[in-house]
Amino acid sequence: MSVFLHVIKIIVIVIAALFALTFTVYFFNLDMKLTAAIYPWLNKQYDKVKRDQHL
Amino acid sequence: MAKEIGADRLGDFYKEGSLVRKRREWRGLADTMYDYSRWLKIMMTLGKFVMKPRNVKAMFRYRWMANYLAVPMMVDRHTQGLRGEYLRICHEEQDLVIDDVAKLLDSLFRGDRRIGNDKKFSDKVVLVDENEMTAVMMGFPTLKCLSRETPSTYVSVLLNQYAACHYIDVAQEYGLAGDVCPMPEAEAGVSIDDDAPVLGACAIQCNTTCDGSLLGNGVISQRLEKEDGIPVFQLAAPLRHREDDVQEYAAQEIRNAIAFIEKHTGVKWDWKAYFECAKRVNYATECRQEWLEMNRTPYPQVFGSNLALYTETNYMAICGRVAAFEKADRKITKLARQAYAKKKMAAKEYRHRAIVWGVQSHYYMDFLVWLLNCWGIVPLTDMLSMVSTKKLVTEDTPENREQAIYDMAWLTENMIMRNRTHGGYKVLLDELWEFVEMFNADMVILWEHMSCKALDGMHGLFEEKAREKGIPLVWVSHDLFDPRIISRQGVRDQINSFMRTVWNEEPIDPSLEVLPDEKSW
Repeated sequence: MSVFLHVIKIIVIVIAALFALTFTVYFFNLDMKLTAAIYPWLNKQYDKVKRDQHL
Repeated sequence: MAKEIGADRLGDFYKEGSLVRKRREWRGLADTMYDYSRWLKIMMTLGKFVMKPRNVKAMFRYRWMANYLAVPMMVDRHTQGLRGEYLRICHEEQDLVIDDVAKLLDSLFRGDRRIGNDKKFSDKVVLVDENEMTAVMMGFPTLKCLSRETPSTYVSVLLNQYAACHYIDVAQEYGLAGDVCPMPEAEAGVSIDDDAPVLGACAIQCNTTCDGSLLGNGVISQRLEKEDGIPVFQLAAPLRHREDDVQEYAAQEIRNAIAFIEKHTGVKWDWKAYFECAKRVNYATECRQEWLEMNRTPYPQVFGSNLALYTETNYMAICGRVAAFEKADRKITKLARQAYAKKKMAAKEYRHRAIVWGVQSHYYMDFLVWLLNCWGIVPLTDMLSMVSTKKLVTEDTPENREQAIYDMAWLTENMIMRNRTHGGYKVLLDELWEFVEMFNADMVILWEHMSCKALDGMHGLFEEKAREKGIPLVWVSHDLFDPRIISRQGVRDQINSFMRTVWNEEPIDPSLEVLPDEKSW
């Protein structure tokens, strides 16, 4: 029984930690702040791609 | 941070010079948790998408793919200030559209000769334009109807206001005129820049609406046919779509398009599938009509971008072919009825009832939400949402099979935008004033898409009629896909001046009047 309760406790802690983490990311818009940091780097990458540019 | 509608100063979320906002809204516990759960769902959709190596490869190959980093922000822009049913309606629509676009991208890259190169899959693909009624695909359930322009330009600009600028510049560097509509110009730019996925057994292009569209299609089809070996059919739907004498010609174009697809894919037209889709089109029409009926009352429910974006997708790009949209129609209608019964409002104050006419600024699609939050203007309906309400035949009989060809022709002629910008001044001018009366509107917001020659010629006629009817009319200039010509603040300033000078009013939320979003996605 105590093992079972221990497992439940771990599951609850993991879910609570995941919730706290993802909700923080959501509320403070951290996902968008991260992608905004990646965006300029990606644009430089596109400039390097070889293209057959013509009409 | 507030639960009540309109209690937040929404302008405070913006940050000068930043691509993104400071944080998301607190909408009260229930609505915030709901919004958070939908955000998680979007993150899972995006996560599932990037799990496939070919999609990651495409992310590094195609410049327009970088815009998809901004998907959650697009949703945040459209849900700004919304609570309760309005928030849920918005998510029902946006999340479904996101899911649909993710599937479209996945399919494009699967068949793309540069990325997935799945030849067998590619042989089942029929390419269509972005701005094209997909009715001719209703009877081909085993084929994939894919648009390259939808994700590369149309959706990209919804995500990032500057998304099309690179392609507009490329097109002009190669000598294309700078005064045509920037939408087809950007689409041509993607093709010139060698930035379009290459796949498909054949393609169907349509004489959408204008000179720019024909120009763009010419550039794109040349590359498709002469270099990629993908045959293209030009579906030339009549522009005088209200005239009886063009309908036989329009029907023949549909027969020809179907025969072309059958020839190049080896797949036969399936009437059973067609009539199934026709039933779903009819259901979507019924729902849309019910929402518009509600919008005629003091308690409109599905309006603004909730009406505009969803109608564009469901009416034209889906056209009954995806069952999930029928389910969404049902859910949206249920939510709308629920809110209507409780006489709910999407903002704390409704000051004006507006009909929005003309072609909207695509880089500022959430302008309709801004109108509501900043000035209490309810955009009851817009030109692009006032599409065909004709019921399609749904029973499979020999007579109905013939009628169905005419129904598809009618839908193609009456695709979004061209059903108003062409077809005579009745559909563009007269019917606007009929809608003003029908919806009990007290103002008209007229988009002036400065590169749209079809609309520019009618300027004086609109003003003359507005004076005659005594309805205040405001012109809002923009350049559809190019915010460098008129910025989002430039768009807002036109309304701000009108509201102060003509209506002598102050904004409901003054923090929204001037926003530092020039650099924002």
